[in-house]
Amino acid sequence: MSEEPEIRPGQYAQKKGEVVLREHVYDGIQEYDQTLPNWWLFIFFGALLFFFGYWIAYYQFGWTKTDAHRIDQAMAVIAEAKSKALEEMLAKLNDEALVNEWAADPAIVANGETTYMANCVACHGQDLAAKFDIGGGQSVPLPGRSLTDGQWEYGSKPMDIFRIINEGTPAGMPGHNGAKMEAWGQKIPPIQVAELTAFLISRNFAEFNKL
Amino acid sequence: MTSQITYDDKTVRRFMSASIIWGIVGMIVGVLAATQLSWWQMNGKFLEAITFGLFKGEGLSYITFGRIRPLHTNAVIFAFVGNMVFAGVYYSTQRLCKCRTASDLLSAIHFWGWQLIIVSAAITLPIGLTRSKEYAELIWPINIAVVVIWIVFGANFFWTLAKRNEKSLYVSLWFYIATIVTIALLYVVNHLSIPTSLTHSYPLFGGVQDALVQWWYGHNAVAFFLTTPILGIMYYFIPKAAERPVYSYRLSIIHFWALVFIYIWAGPHHLLNTALPHWLQILGMLFSLMLWAPSWAGMLNGLLTLRGAWDKLRTDPVIKFFAVAVTFYGMATFEGPLLSIRAVNSLSHYTDWTVGHVHSGALGWNGFMAAGMFYWLAPRLWKTKLWSTSLANFHFWIGLVGILLYVASMWVAGVTQGLMLAETNTGGATLKYEFVETLRQINALYIIRSIGGTFYLVGFLLCAFNIFMTARSGKAVDDTCEVTLLEKTKKDTMSLGESLRQDPVIYAVLAVAFMILWFLLPHHADKAALAVTLILIAKAVSLFKKDSRTWSQYFDRLLENYLPFTVLIFFAVAIGGVVQIIPSLLVNKSANMEERLQIPYTPLELEGRDIFVSEGCYNCHSQMIRTLVPDVMRYGPTPEQGYSRMGESLYDFPHQWGSKRTGPDLAREGGALVAGSQTMRSGRRDNLWHFNHFWDPRQTSPGSNMPPYPFLYDTKADFKTLPKRIATMTFLGVPYPKMSKDAIEQSARDQAMEISAALVKAGAFIPNKTELTETELMRQLAESKVVALIAYMQKVGSYEALDHERKPSALDPDTIRDAGTKPAPATTSNK
Repeated sequence: MSEEPEIRPGQYAQKKGEVVLREHVYDGIQEYDQTLPNWWLFIFFGALLFFFGYWIAYYQFGWTKTDAHRIDQAMAVIAEAKSKALEEMLAKLNDEALVNEWAADPAIVANGETTYMANCVACHGQDLAAKFDIGGGQSVPLPGRSLTDGQWEYGSKPMDIFRIINEGTPAGMPGHNGAKMEAWGQKIPPIQVAELTAFLISRNFAEFNKL
Repeated sequence: MTSQITYDDKTVRRFMSASIIWGIVGMIVGVLAATQLSWWQMNGKFLEAITFGLFKGEGLSYITFGRIRPLHTNAVIFAFVGNMVFAGVYYSTQRLCKCRTASDLLSAIHFWGWQLIIVSAAITLPIGLTRSKEYAELIWPINIAVVVIWIVFGANFFWTLAKRNEKSLYVSLWFYIATIVTIALLYVVNHLSIPTSLTHSYPLFGGVQDALVQWWYGHNAVAFFLTTPILGIMYYFIPKAAERPVYSYRLSIIHFWALVFIYIWAGPHHLLNTALPHWLQILGMLFSLMLWAPSWAGMLNGLLTLRGAWDKLRTDPVIKFFAVAVTFYGMATFEGPLLSIRAVNSLSHYTDWTVGHVHSGALGWNGFMAAGMFYWLAPRLWKTKLWSTSLANFHFWIGLVGILLYVASMWVAGVTQGLMLAETNTGGATLKYEFVETLRQINALYIIRSIGGTFYLVGFLLCAFNIFMTARSGKAVDDTCEVTLLEKTKKDTMSLGESLRQDPVIYAVLAVAFMILWFLLPHHADKAALAVTLILIAKAVSLFKKDSRTWSQYFDRLLENYLPFTVLIFFAVAIGGVVQIIPSLLVNKSANMEERLQIPYTPLELEGRDIFVSEGCYNCHSQMIRTLVPDVMRYGPTPEQGYSRMGESLYDFPHQWGSKRTGPDLAREGGALVAGSQTMRSGRRDNLWHFNHFWDPRQTSPGSNMPPYPFLYDTKADFKTLPKRIATMTFLGVPYPKMSKDAIEQSARDQAMEISAALVKAGAFIPNKTELTETELMRQLAESKVVALIAYMQKVGSYEALDHERKPSALDPDTIRDAGTKPAPATTSNK
């Protein structure tokens, strides 16, 4: 404000730019009256109009889908992408390829190990033995099966390993002490499942190489 | 006739001192809670180091994050800001009414009663006694005390208004009135509960209804406890300190009425994209946007009052604090509407952005208004000079840097985490990051936040010291004043009926009534209601244009009549809550649920749930998968999981939808019954996983910042009071089968034994009790809290599928919309 506007006593300002000093004084506090800035009125009325417009568009004209409709469609698209990616991966995979190509490639195995360390250690342990060392010679048993003991409850072919990771403990099976594995195919892409399978094969290479 | 009066400044001094003391406590607890998020050892293990081994343990139950965070929020809201508000109200009301507070006895009861409430909160929250509703955690006996003390405060305040020697009410008093009546309303409704013991109760509302009532309260506690009273204080202390007239009176009027009317409707913006009915979400969003301008009107009236006094900004710390406080008010009230937009909220909600938002309000607006007021009041209350202006200036700068570090780090943390949680692998069918990876990513920002909070705390300690030295250098003397007594016949002459039979009131009531009909009526009737609303608004505007004088004269007269004025304020704030809550109470019942309905908890699972609530797990874990792709992909990717439906938490008293995810959502943790068992379930994770996880979260989830819970393994679950709790649940409408008291207790023990047996079979053991035989271990576990909690975790989200369509209902605008856009189902359901 470069120059002070003229101030007149009164009740309410009548026009823009006018400054009225109200008569009443409360404990020494005085009040001006001034008209409201245009930009402020614009925000105020804009929000009011938006309120009426938005409700009319949604409820009267039925514009935009309901949340349930929208999310169902989006998830259907994702489900399709998922099954397509799985199909493509399955076309590339077989028992031999997993052992001789995937498990033999150190880069793939390293990727698989990364995935394992991020997702699997809570149940199968860092050393795949389903135990967690808590110091003092104690180790806590983990919910998962040992992956180094040569026993493969749900099939010992490389593709069985891929499938069990992808789909989880088969429905109707009791699980290991009641513990069931979730379908990791829902969480990680098929390529990571394959890498993970390769990692597990590489850790049991002698066993799988005989097949 | 004139008279010499002495103001009661002793009460002001008391409240101000209490505010400063509790402020220090609340902020220290805040810094502790902040550091716990970076270093889990801060949940108790650090005591080993600072007591040189006197304390031993992985954690101390009393200071785990879940218990400490409610202590922090309650302390800063009700103890720090509460006492500061009372100091400001008692000081300014007496001067604006030109009379001493009506009753010294009521003032004393108010002061000591409030401090007693704070002390009891500080004891009960750390020992795990909580209702789990945010900022409404205190247990029911304390709730009653709060209501009584609030009535004492209100009686004292209105009695003072009645005795006033000033004909008309100044703006500050309008805001104080709104505060007192609205907080009473909000507090009572959100604390309705049925006691099951002296320290425990279940809220009257469950599931979606409880969520709605809670956030109607939660949002408006911010509005009417942390905003309106502070605005009243702003309108008194800023013109006083600046020695300038208030910028614009008409802005005060519009600001006030728009704020009190609109604020109440905005509560559902805390529940966007959840299972809350869509029409309520939209009302929450749209009314939040409409709040932007009225809030900024307050900022304008604060800042522009300082126009002409900017030179004082260089010399007077009081003006510095006020100017920055009002600026933060403006920033926070712009950010609020922004975060209420559903699209923005889908990213920001459940992240630290919200935490940053509330702290720019709490530290910037509340904290700096408090500091400015303290520095202005102290020399006047103790008749001396401020002990050190340069120390106050230092407080200002270190506080400001603290706020900026805090808020900026939370912005970055919130946006980073929001984006990471939504990031997908190539192909878009799976998510890129585990939850704990996002947590590790923002840990550095958490440390910066702790530093910012510590800066702020240091500044506040300097303030306390400065005020203490000021008080010591002066003398506590009460102000006296010569006043002209106002005759009774010159004020409060308008009857309530007369105050209501006025054009502004009639048009406002009619327009709002038809607007509500527009929301609720079926197709076509709603359009007619909308047309009437718009005609009424146009008519009112034209009447006002033609003769604004009658309206302004009416308002001037209304200000000379405090009771009708209070009644009108009450109507303005009550209406939003009535429209949003009553339909939900009538419509959202189990008989009306579609798709899914929750399966009630077994006795043991209910006990586990009460432990979950008591430990404050909801502070970090939500149970609400929103209708958003990243949420569904992360927490419920398969069709039978999916997003959370309204019916899935209908029997949850209280609801546990949560407001912040420091850990992942838990809505789909539970699962199906284990083959061959009647009660034992196994969900996403096995019993043993949970057993290991509660003992040491980092063992199962490396990088987790969750506190360890070893104390749950040797404290006993409470089976004795279960019959009472189940009876209360039945009363609240949960369909429990008829069971005798013994049967309830037996059922809990049987299920606990089954889980314990399964755990022991899988090899579980308690690391510091390896000497137990298998049988002993099984017995101990079967009585422990941890097994009850595991039973609950395995149950969360269990539902039965329904094949029942919702019928269109007048109180349910979404069903009306669906009926208009969807073809009617070919077959009708038999339910």
